[in-house]
Amino acid sequence: MNILELHNLKKYFATQKAVDDISLEIGKGKIFGLLGPNGAGKTTLIRMITGIFYPDAGEIILKGKKFDPENDAKYIGYMPEERGLYKKMKIGEQALYLAQLKGLGKQDAMHKIKEWFNRLEMESWWNKKVEDLSKGMGQKLQFVITVLHEPDLIILDEPFSGLDPINANLIKDEIYRLAQNGTTIIFSTHRMEQVEEICDHIALVNKGKKILDGTVADVKQNFKENLFSIQLENIPTTINAQSFNLINTNKQELIVKINEGYKPNDVLNHFITNGSNIISFKEILPSLNDIFIKLVEGTPSARQFQVMDN
Amino acid sequence: MKKIFLIIQREFLTRVRKKTFIIGTILFPLLYLALIFGTGYIADKTKNNLNIALIDKSGLFTEQLVTKNNLTDTLTKLSLIKTNTENVLKNYDSLGYNGVIQIPATFNWRTGIDSVNKLEVYTKKTYGIGAFDAIQKKVNGMWQQIKKDSLGIDASKQSIMDASISITQQNEKQKNANAGTASIIGYVCGFLMYLILLLYGSQVMMGVTEEKTNRIAEVVVSSVKPFQLMIGKIVGIGMVALTQFLIWIGCIFLIYNLTKTGNGSAASGIVGQVQTVFTSVNIPLTVGCFIFYLLGGFFFYSSLYAAIGSAINEDMREAQSLSFPITMLVIFSIALMTPVIKDPNSTLAFWASIIPISSPIVMMVRIPFGVPNTVPWWQLGLSMALLIAGFIFTTWFAARIYRTGILMYGKKPSWKEMIKWAFRK
Repeated sequence: MNILELHNLKKYFATQKAVDDISLEIGKGKIFGLLGPNGAGKTTLIRMITGIFYPDAGEIILKGKKFDPENDAKYIGYMPEERGLYKKMKIGEQALYLAQLKGLGKQDAMHKIKEWFNRLEMESWWNKKVEDLSKGMGQKLQFVITVLHEPDLIILDEPFSGLDPINANLIKDEIYRLAQNGTTIIFSTHRMEQVEEICDHIALVNKGKKILDGTVADVKQNFKENLFSIQLENIPTTINAQSFNLINTNKQELIVKINEGYKPNDVLNHFITNGSNIISFKEILPSLNDIFIKLVEGTPSARQFQVMDN
Repeated sequence: MKKIFLIIQREFLTRVRKKTFIIGTILFPLLYLALIFGTGYIADKTKNNLNIALIDKSGLFTEQLVTKNNLTDTLTKLSLIKTNTENVLKNYDSLGYNGVIQIPATFNWRTGIDSVNKLEVYTKKTYGIGAFDAIQKKVNGMWQQIKKDSLGIDASKQSIMDASISITQQNEKQKNANAGTASIIGYVCGFLMYLILLLYGSQVMMGVTEEKTNRIAEVVVSSVKPFQLMIGKIVGIGMVALTQFLIWIGCIFLIYNLTKTGNGSAASGIVGQVQTVFTSVNIPLTVGCFIFYLLGGFFFYSSLYAAIGSAINEDMREAQSLSFPITMLVIFSIALMTPVIKDPNSTLAFWASIIPISSPIVMMVRIPFGVPNTVPWWQLGLSMALLIAGFIFTTWFAARIYRTGILMYGKKPSWKEMIKWAFRK
């Protein structure tokens, strides 16, 4: 079942088409990566999903029903990229207030706050103020506030920025735990290595349009260039085969590109018949980073930015 | 609705629990009163006691006259010098006198000294303006007595001379009307309203800016509508203003009730005035109207302040330049106060108390003069209805700016851009 479906969403501002006809489907319990360069329309898209903006056109289906921002706020947890909390308010009261705004009852909210604070070792924070916390501690608190009301859909915008590796791992584990319990997580970022590690499914957005959508494995398959890495005991001095082209030689390792109409077995056959001892053979898949750059670089606005950068 | 209530509750409680609220509400008026009474007391205690030597060459001023007139004021003393006058004239300061006055031999009981009738008091120091008023009064008092004695006017003739008629205004429809008290109440109401509108209006503005710059706004508006957040803040802060006002009113009633039954010693000046106020002005109506105009005016202006708060970024100078037109409207209303008090029935007073921009302040200045005589019921009703319509409009207008501004970072928008935000679909 899909927890969230976007059908032809559009949001135009005076100067630009921030979101221009985007459709998406996100399954329950999935960790979904929403990728895109700065200014691609990610934040606008997220703000429509969280009910902050109304779409100009298209519809949002949440849990099989048309999204109703007023009553569906409790199903969504949103952590914006720019973290925000009341600096002068006590942490416990703040968590309680924000949970109640999400529609939780007071008793229920208290119970859940205590549970989360216990698990993440934050009990001693209750009477402190946000201004007394370090940046990393603030992030942790923001995360707890986002997930406290047990939403079905959690949207995290750059959740790891500013966190040290220990706390980043802590949050990552919580994200996995939530996903295992059936919570869907949308993860907006441009840190590709995190996406590859965490996400099941990704969508790439650029200039208001979706330019790529699929599972991480499928996307990599689709963008692979038939590159393989072969390690041989002794590299022959001359390699001449119809089935592949040599791209690179690296001590014992060869990078080859298999030609159209041939299969990996043809490559292996070639070396076996030549009497080379094969140590390893593996496919080289493009990293999401490479795919991202390849797709985004081709667009005019990105080029403009690059010209300006250089 | 439940969410708005939560927001109101937070806005109210975080402010009321702050030390500044307690100081502002309780300590500030106490300090203010202490300052007024304290400075009066200190001024009294430290006033110069003047001892002035009086050298009379005319021979008309007697010891008896001087003693009698010295009783009119204890801070100054005239001492009649009969012997050794040359020495006193030269060395009055070393003899313990602050100054010396010489009545010339030419002094005549009918015409005085000459056509200008000027006497000089010689001193070694410069005293303040009015320092010798009491001395002047004493000298004239003595001359007055000399004139009466010479003309043969005794006490019974004097009382005939002194009899006069006093004219006071009596409003037939309102027995207790008192223009003086009404003016004072009008001033106090208008000024209090002005203070509350500006102080709490800017609190709304700063509160909104704080939420925006803290980026909490984005977290909150993913749970509630921007309009709910704005209205919750305005109502919450409005409740704080109302609480403060009610505490003050409570204190005044307390003072009134304590002094009503108390003895004469408690009847100091301020308390006496409070008593007059209670008998000459319709207190329940005035307080009721004050609460209405306080809330109405507060909603009217604070929603505009909220809109500005949502448009600005960290820089407080942006706030000043954008809020200037709004602040000017409030200042304009307070500037109308003086002419309206002079003539609460004028055309200016009428229009200024009907139009919602100035009605919260100007109507509150007029109401103590009497409803329905100075302010007919229909005017009050029209003014109230227009104020309600006014704040519904400003709230609607502000909400449309607010929902765009609260998530917009970067450059400060101009008023023109903000109006564009409000009127686009």
